[in-house]
Amino acid sequence: MSILVWLVISVAGAAGWAALALHRGETINAAWLVLAAVCSYAVAYRFYSRFLATRVARLDDKRITPAHRLANGRDFVPTSRWILFGHHFAAIAGAGPLVGPVLAAQFGYLPGTIWIIVGVIFGGAVQDFIILAGSTRRDGKSLGQMAKEEIGPFTGVLAMIAILAIMVILIAVLALIIVKALAQSPWGVFTLLCTIPIALAMGLWMKAIRPGHTLEATAGGVVLLLFALVAGGWVAASPTLGPIFTLSATTISWGLMGYGFIASVLPVWLLLAPRDYLSTFVKVGTIFALAVGIALSLPVMHLPALTRFVDGTGPVFAGHLFPFCFITIACGAISGFHALVSSGTTPKMLDKESDARPIGYGAMLMESFVAVMAMCAASILQPGVYFAMNAPLALLGGSTAGAVQAVQHWGFTLAPGQMEALAHSVGETTLLARTGGAPTLAVGMAQILSGAFGPSLTALWYHFAIMFEALFILTTIDAGTRVGRFMVQELGGYLWQPLAQTSSWLSTIVASGAIVAAWGWFLLQGVNDPLGGINSLWPLFGIANQLLAAVALSVGTTLIIRASRVRYVWVTIVPLVWLLAVTSTASWQKVFDKDPHLGFLAHAADIATQITAGAIDPAKGGRLIFNDHVDAILCGLFLVITWAVVVASARVWLHSTTNPGPVAAAHALSAEAA
Amino acid sequence: MTLPLRLKAVVRVCRQIAGMPDYQAYVAHLAAAHPERPLPTEREFYEEFVRSKYAGGASRCC
Repeated sequence: MSILVWLVISVAGAAGWAALALHRGETINAAWLVLAAVCSYAVAYRFYSRFLATRVARLDDKRITPAHRLANGRDFVPTSRWILFGHHFAAIAGAGPLVGPVLAAQFGYLPGTIWIIVGVIFGGAVQDFIILAGSTRRDGKSLGQMAKEEIGPFTGVLAMIAILAIMVILIAVLALIIVKALAQSPWGVFTLLCTIPIALAMGLWMKAIRPGHTLEATAGGVVLLLFALVAGGWVAASPTLGPIFTLSATTISWGLMGYGFIASVLPVWLLLAPRDYLSTFVKVGTIFALAVGIALSLPVMHLPALTRFVDGTGPVFAGHLFPFCFITIACGAISGFHALVSSGTTPKMLDKESDARPIGYGAMLMESFVAVMAMCAASILQPGVYFAMNAPLALLGGSTAGAVQAVQHWGFTLAPGQMEALAHSVGETTLLARTGGAPTLAVGMAQILSGAFGPSLTALWYHFAIMFEALFILTTIDAGTRVGRFMVQELGGYLWQPLAQTSSWLSTIVASGAIVAAWGWFLLQGVNDPLGGINSLWPLFGIANQLLAAVALSVGTTLIIRASRVRYVWVTIVPLVWLLAVTSTASWQKVFDKDPHLGFLAHAADIATQITAGAIDPAKGGRLIFNDHVDAILCGLFLVITWAVVVASARVWLHSTTNPGPVAAAHALSAEAA
Repeated sequence: MTLPLRLKAVVRVCRQIAGMPDYQAYVAHLAAAHPERPLPTEREFYEEFVRSKYAGGASRCC
């Protein structure tokens, strides 16, 4: 009977893939894409994750988990697997899986979709699962601690520097996405500003009036948030209030930096904790609504399976399909950041070892499905609209008339007036060159949701989608700046002792200021970049995230080898080798490629020529050249750190396979209990 | 199970998904494992929890 069921699921999945692969018409229904994805996940979960759980990790429910052994009623708490699944999913899913696929849609929907599904089954979910299982066997130790203990202290410090650098780039690029979505949008700015007093009110409620009543405070917060969303529309329409909330990209950037600094030094109960709850519930609710919307409306995708931009000439970001499709989509296929969550709170709450399979492997499949939905949302737009929204203004000729021509030149059609009509329908003044993915996703989501629930509220759905992304990006800015501050204090403490005192006000202000200055610098660089910033920052972020994944997979490989499971080592080695090929090629091209759209050094040389020719103001050109050099150095640094970690790990692997020590075996991933 | 009890169960599930621990569970744990320790009030328990949760900076994903 079960054989029959799985046969049917496999055949349905194959039908989905066949429809995607063989269809050569103008449009295709998104249902095929969803069918292929869901059936592939089901088969992978049933068979591959079972293999990982029973053969590779040898999960054993007789073994007591840290949640029971170290139970303290607070962070070490045995938790039912479904609740923990929800908690883990809420912690790993963020803006990443929503934005990456939208940008990668410039290659067409097919390459990104294949990578999201194949990448998660053999890469991302494996990484999350192995790290979760390994951390659970080590009392819930973090990735950094495991790197230090299993590979060496030097690798531990390298991992920490890598995490800090990635954090800076992550915050900068997410902030840039908000800036791009909110510039000249009074509706969006007003709604986002309202989230700050709403979170403060929730914090005060939970602190002073009803401590611990998270749910009622959050429910109140959500109601106020929806009211702010509607009120945003009135503000934008008002002739007096509208202009007050119409802000330029630069103003919003400085505002975000000020917010990040203040938020990261305020007590957590006042702003961060309530904002965290608010964004968790809004996030889970919205993702659920999007899934229901797609299921009800079954939208038709207008983007082609492949576009001509696989040759590397795309306007959204530069570079060929390989390696840049696999850099652009990190979260959703494989994301190194998840290794931090899988070795953070989750392993401390695991009730039984076998729960690691649905939580580690399963939750990542779910995140991958979010990425597939984001791909659907981008693909239901007309290709002309997609490129007019995602190409930088400089390539669109700076006006709607120019955009019509530019889009035609790329081989797609855009009717005169089409962009204005679309902008009007979502309550914005313009949608040209709204790069960064969030506005595109919001337009796609607004179409899906108004297709499913009635067309009258398109503008409200659009701003709901923008608010939902901006809300959890602000949470990331706050939490990330705080994490970065602690890391600066710890690393800086080696150089100047007083900096390590986390309770000192001076140390806190210096460290927070340093971290805000770091990401703020990259943010302003992106805002002032004539090619729109996403072009250079998103690939840097993708490279950084995949670098962390490579570190995590190296640690995972070490855990498997130390457990004397050498013959199964390919489960982490194969994705590791693939990631190394991708990140190394991408970093190399970003630094050294001769195309000034792609290579940082070539771009700097190009600007230098333009300065000599008098085409660019020398002061401005000098800044651009400096930015290019910093980006090139950072990219090179990422590459060096990755290879250093891999080489250090490989030495441990060789050593362990030739003489596995008894101490190592006792700590190993699946060593039998002593 | 009566309706108010059901509602309470739903509230507890939602709280745990958001990463908020259960006070009753902590009280039970304390009574079972460390009966000699003083019992914090619900307010003290949550204040201490929020402080320690973010003390090292919460790890957060993209």
